Amino acid sequence: MSEIIDCSGQFAGPAPQDRRCQVAIVGSGCGGATAAMLLAEAGKDVILLEEGGDFVGPAKLTQRDLPMYDQLYADRGGRTTTCRSISVLSGRVLGGGGVINASDVVPIAAETWQTWRDHYSITEFAAAEITRATEQALADLSARPISEDQVNRNNQVLRRGARALGWRGELMLHNRDGCKGLGTCLIGCPVGAKRNPRMVAIPRALAAGAQVLVRARVKAVRNATMPEKTLQIACLDERGYREGNVFRVIADTVILAAGPVGTTTLLERAGLGGPALGRFVSLQPQVPITAVMPEVVGGYDGIPQAFAITEFERHDPQLGLSGFRIEPIFGTPGILGSLVSQPGADGKQLLAQLPHFAASLLLLPDESRARIHRNWAGQLRIDYEFTEDYRRRARQAIAAAGRAYLAAGATLVAVPNAPPVILRSEGDLPSVAALSLAPATIPLISAHQQGGARMGVDPERSVCDQRGRVHGSNSVYVMDTSLFPTSASSHTMAPTVTIAHLLAGRLAAGR
Amino acid sequence: MARFSRRGLLRLGVASATLAAGAAIGLRGLRGSVPDAGDLSVLSPGQYQTLQALAAVHLPATPQSPKTGADFDLGRLFDRYLADQPTADQRDARLALELLEYGPVLFDGRATTFCGLTPDEQLRHWASWSTAARPLRREIYWSFARFLGLAYYDQAEVWPSVGYPGPSLARLQR
Repeated sequence: MSEIIDCSGQFAGPAPQDRRCQVAIVGSGCGGATAAMLLAEAGKDVILLEEGGDFVGPAKLTQRDLPMYDQLYADRGGRTTTCRSISVLSGRVLGGGGVINASDVVPIAAETWQTWRDHYSITEFAAAEITRATEQALADLSARPISEDQVNRNNQVLRRGARALGWRGELMLHNRDGCKGLGTCLIGCPVGAKRNPRMVAIPRALAAGAQVLVRARVKAVRNATMPEKTLQIACLDERGYREGNVFRVIADTVILAAGPVGTTTLLERAGLGGPALGRFVSLQPQVPITAVMPEVVGGYDGIPQAFAITEFERHDPQLGLSGFRIEPIFGTPGILGSLVSQPGADGKQLLAQLPHFAASLLLLPDESRARIHRNWAGQLRIDYEFTEDYRRRARQAIAAAGRAYLAAGATLVAVPNAPPVILRSEGDLPSVAALSLAPATIPLISAHQQGGARMGVDPERSVCDQRGRVHGSNSVYVMDTSLFPTSASSHTMAPTVTIAHLLAGRLAAGR
Repeated sequence: MARFSRRGLLRLGVASATLAAGAAIGLRGLRGSVPDAGDLSVLSPGQYQTLQALAAVHLPATPQSPKTGADFDLGRLFDRYLADQPTADQRDARLALELLEYGPVLFDGRATTFCGLTPDEQLRHWASWSTAARPLRREIYWSFARFLGLAYYDQAEVWPSVGYPGPSLARLQR
């Protein structure tokens, strides 16, 4: 049984010694942690590297916005697209996105696999193998449906509206065990009720002998085309910002699982990836929407996301996931306060109705057209192009959510556009059609970035082959959402664990 | 296309530089003196003053919630946040605050800067950034609106005014 090694202890003073291993894995989220678990249990000598810290328990997971955004999110939650329209949220903590998500488990649909087969030549995996990997992922996550008594009032409101309109919806699968309904899933669960990589895969990897290093920032992968790869690693300080001592990890196999931004950045520095690197990125920009109900909702208590309106989900044979779905969400006042579009007393007066708020996110799959790159100054750039199809579906989704809330008895529905759009009756719905959704007019959220190092057969149009191996590399693999040719699902945790089972499972078996 | 002689180009360059320097001095003059802001890591005292003024107008005192964003010194909090950011990001943030300070001059043709406006004028000017035709102004609007909203409503003193009972684990354990 290994221990978690915190490299901030070696930030200064004597530099850490270089290490050697068979497999070095960069990033400890759903992909990296699952790969570490499978490979360590198969007897491989594994080192798992994570830039963030280890946050477990109420002393560290304080349910406060500022310190938790500061420590659990990449760029403190301040990462955005180049046009500042979309907050690009991802985890920077041991366990990755699973630590800060709403615990929704939505596997890759059979139709999506079909699209990947038909249009992206992903033919490597037989149906039975996919089914087995999906079942393993659901087992890792202890996935089970939300029970009726776990549906909080925020979710009940939207479900009431959907039922009044005769719309299809469902209670989702979640990876919770011992949930206390604390409501702050998006800034970590202080009682450890999420069956996420931090609580499942990483303990198993440690038990199998894997070395897990936190506050270890991988700066570069050298000799990526050689049998022996060298990772240059900086020890970070306790807060995870300043770089101190540097050491190396030498590995036969390198697995990148640092999310689309981290993975593409490292591949670019390694001179790998070709023309498709950083391209074909899906951000799934989500639209936040708020209703004010006559009754107290108290959405900050209970499970934030339990029910989903699935009436409008579609599958496009070529693009894959399409349409939209509506899911309740809630958070702390800081999160909601950051989404208010009106300045001054108007904005404060809106938020003063917080206990009466019912809030949702409108989940919109998009075409994979974003691009991740660095500018001349080395600054991260995530270029995003809003398509007319996205805007059309976003307006439809806003109108649908507005209808659902009004049907549930809302006194008003607020669209956080600038200027704000307020719906008080169905007669106001035409104002939604006039929304321009131009960049930086409405605060959009990306919680499920995918692509940037997608798999495929053509090195001009893909970065990795169907086994996740980077074209032109010697045993450098990608095992995170960067691989997905299109949006894999409305939520990426289960798809990422699934793909890690498929790819790392083969690597572990030497196939 | 007009052709310039080397001497003509030189004259044009000197004239442009003189004009730019004059404009910069004139703009600085419009702002007036800036009070001492104590220890700052990244922001200048003037940039800090601009952000504090913005925090006060974006999150003003209301009957239910008498404290403004400036009362929580969100300008200094932002300065501390910037201190850990890459240099290029620090530069962008400083430029954004300069643009905001001189916004009334540049976009409204006023002979005063943001800090020289009355609170009502500041609110109107700031609100105009949220709907500006130029994307850059909207981008700056949302960048600061998001930060200020997150930081302000994370203050425990503000919670009673929005009916938030506080972190749930502590309530559960009481």
